[in-house]
Amino acid sequence: MMRAVVVDNELNARKELETLLAERGDIAVAGACANALQAIRLIRSVRPDILFVDIHMPKVDGFQLVAMIEPELMPAVVFVTAHDEYALKAFEENAIDYLLKPVQAERLARTVEKLQRYAGPARRSFQQNSVIERIPCVCAQGIKFVDTAEVEFIHSSETGVHLVTGPAEYLTELTLTLLEARAPMMVRCHKQILVNLDHIDLFGRLDPATAFLRTRSGKQVPVSRRYLAGLKERLGI
Amino acid sequence: MKLLFPLIQVVSFFLLVAYVYCKSPAYRLRRSEALGAGQKVALFVFFALISMGGTYLGVKVQGAIANARAIGPVLAGLIGGPALGLGVGLLSGLHRYTFGGFTALACGISTTAEGLIGGLVGLYLRRTAAQDQALSPVTAGLTMLAAESVQMIIILAVARPFSDAWALVRVIALPMIIANSCGAALFMSILSDRRDLYDLAGTASTARTLRIAGRTLDLLAKGFSRDVALRLATIIQQETGVGAVAITDRESVLAFTGLGSDHHRPGTPILSESTRRAITQGEVVFLDGIRDPYRCTGQEDCPLGSVLVVPLLVGQDVIGTIKLYEKAHKRFLSINRTLGEGLADLLASQLARAHFQEQKELLVLAELKLAHAQINPHFLFNSLATIQAITREDSVRARSLLSHLADFFRMNLKRNPELSTLQEELSHVNAYLEIEKARFEDQLTVRIEVDPTLLNLKLPTFTLQPLIENAIKHGVAEMLGPGTARIHIYRAGSGVRIDVEDDAGQFKAALAGAGGLGMSIVDRRLRSLLRGSQGLSVHCEPDRLTRVSIVIPEPQGAA
Repeated sequence: MMRAVVVDNELNARKELETLLAERGDIAVAGACANALQAIRLIRSVRPDILFVDIHMPKVDGFQLVAMIEPELMPAVVFVTAHDEYALKAFEENAIDYLLKPVQAERLARTVEKLQRYAGPARRSFQQNSVIERIPCVCAQGIKFVDTAEVEFIHSSETGVHLVTGPAEYLTELTLTLLEARAPMMVRCHKQILVNLDHIDLFGRLDPATAFLRTRSGKQVPVSRRYLAGLKERLGI
Repeated sequence: MKLLFPLIQVVSFFLLVAYVYCKSPAYRLRRSEALGAGQKVALFVFFALISMGGTYLGVKVQGAIANARAIGPVLAGLIGGPALGLGVGLLSGLHRYTFGGFTALACGISTTAEGLIGGLVGLYLRRTAAQDQALSPVTAGLTMLAAESVQMIIILAVARPFSDAWALVRVIALPMIIANSCGAALFMSILSDRRDLYDLAGTASTARTLRIAGRTLDLLAKGFSRDVALRLATIIQQETGVGAVAITDRESVLAFTGLGSDHHRPGTPILSESTRRAITQGEVVFLDGIRDPYRCTGQEDCPLGSVLVVPLLVGQDVIGTIKLYEKAHKRFLSINRTLGEGLADLLASQLARAHFQEQKELLVLAELKLAHAQINPHFLFNSLATIQAITREDSVRARSLLSHLADFFRMNLKRNPELSTLQEELSHVNAYLEIEKARFEDQLTVRIEVDPTLLNLKLPTFTLQPLIENAIKHGVAEMLGPGTARIHIYRAGSGVRIDVEDDAGQFKAALAGAGGLGMSIVDRRLRSLLRGSQGLSVHCEPDRLTRVSIVIPEPQGAA
């Protein structure tokens, strides 16, 4: 049986969909939550086949949430919303279906049919192509949203993935691989580092085989031999 | 023919008189303009004097007078019609009659007849719509020729003995006909030249006014801001060529352009006595710089010496003034004075129109918003989704929510579009909040604190609900955790203050989005429906608090 996660910031709307799915009996609800940040954790832990997601949600909307899911975890996506004006965008993001609230059981049945046809083993073809515009980060006061364009580079360590802006450093739960895929200006320059092309101030060479980068705020970033060619190509040098 | 030269002298003297007359303020002959009674009397006196002068200055010939008397009645008739011509002719004829001589009666009759002829020719030409021809020098000359010929015939017919009359006519006929015809033609030519000049000046000033009207019309449609005022002042100065132009509202100078702009600064409060008088009395104040000198309140060596202050009246209210200044020692042209007053009229009516237009647009916008609120689909569908879910667990609550939803939409549809009591506003808000609380459940807390003595306070309909909707939609609903919205209504100073707060502190972000429209409508409705209202004010502490406040100036109808 396919497993689904339901994300909606309105409690009753969420419960209604859970109930409708439970009544059908052919889709198991593996979890439900109220916002995108909870959803990212939930998806990582339960690895659902299907994601029912509202579009209007606080801080990170449904589209951005989908952008933050790692490709290997990407479930089939069904948007559930009262707004019909996002349908086109939803399908551009390779959504399987688009449900309007209040959700009707008959309409949900057609969605499930579609899911059974397209999801399952073939779901890897539903890669989507959103860009992550703001990266949620954990900080002492709660969740901080950092504009991707302000990040100079991102490095991973045992403690997690760190975003470095000019003055500060933040910890995010998103993976390096995901950020590389969904943030086009972020380019891999080292096994553990992505650098923002827009923030490169200097490309320096120590010897023909080794190079380093300097960011606009003067931080030095190593370039490993393995990624040198790709980086040079992206920089057009 | 030796009579011709003395007669030409007389006629020349008349032409001089005509020249002086038409330069004087008494002269007001305009093209295509019906003569008023006053003008007719003035013309009567003038032409009667000319005519009688003609008798006095005549040359005695064979017991009669060769004269230029006929010019008066004939021209009076051409210009003023048969009655005027007849009047002048009769008076002058009687006057001639008293001089005696064997042609006394004949001349008396003929002068009257000549006036009538002039009048009939003038009337005929006017009737056949040949307006300009009645006043043309050629007509005057030809009419005079005919009139003098008739006079000669009358002398022959009436004066006795006939042989004397015949002898007289043989001597005077040709000189009088020539001199008087030429004289009448030239006389008329002087008058009409002057008239053309007036018409030209009139046309120029009309054209100028129209040009200003055209240039200002679009400008004022946008309302009366400082920017608009400056552009207006610049246009007026360009078109009138006066030394400087200022536009003020009731308190301060909105715009100043021209001489003395170094110390006449926009934004400074009105100091001059004359402007204050124009505003409080609603009357035009003119300091001509000669009898009433203009003294700049700002600076000793201000180059301006005279000023015209015209109040801008919209309806009964003076909303400001237009001031035209002229340099010291430069005459303030009366044409500019007239123009200034006309302009103020023009601008006032344009402003009234702009004001009306704004009110109309406001109404349309508010109605659109109202229509939007009536069918607000997202709110409706989200509410239905919530109620659908609640029906499963708690049908009593679901039923109550449905009736709140019905109440909310019914109130959107039915309410008085202008003012409502606070109580009505609160019940609208309450119906709305019941639904929102069900949608967001424990994520949303609402606190309402209202001074119960204020429930009859009148405020613009649909003021409160958009504010709380804004606090939820762009505030609490944008928070990851639970949030609180708060309505606080209390007396503050001489008014009533309404604070609507949320603890999300997202207002700046909300303004950029769809939230801006609803809020700006509330703001504009407050300003237009409540006299003296300052509209909305917003206080925002990012991520902590957004507070939207309004002050209702005087509690009307509060218990």
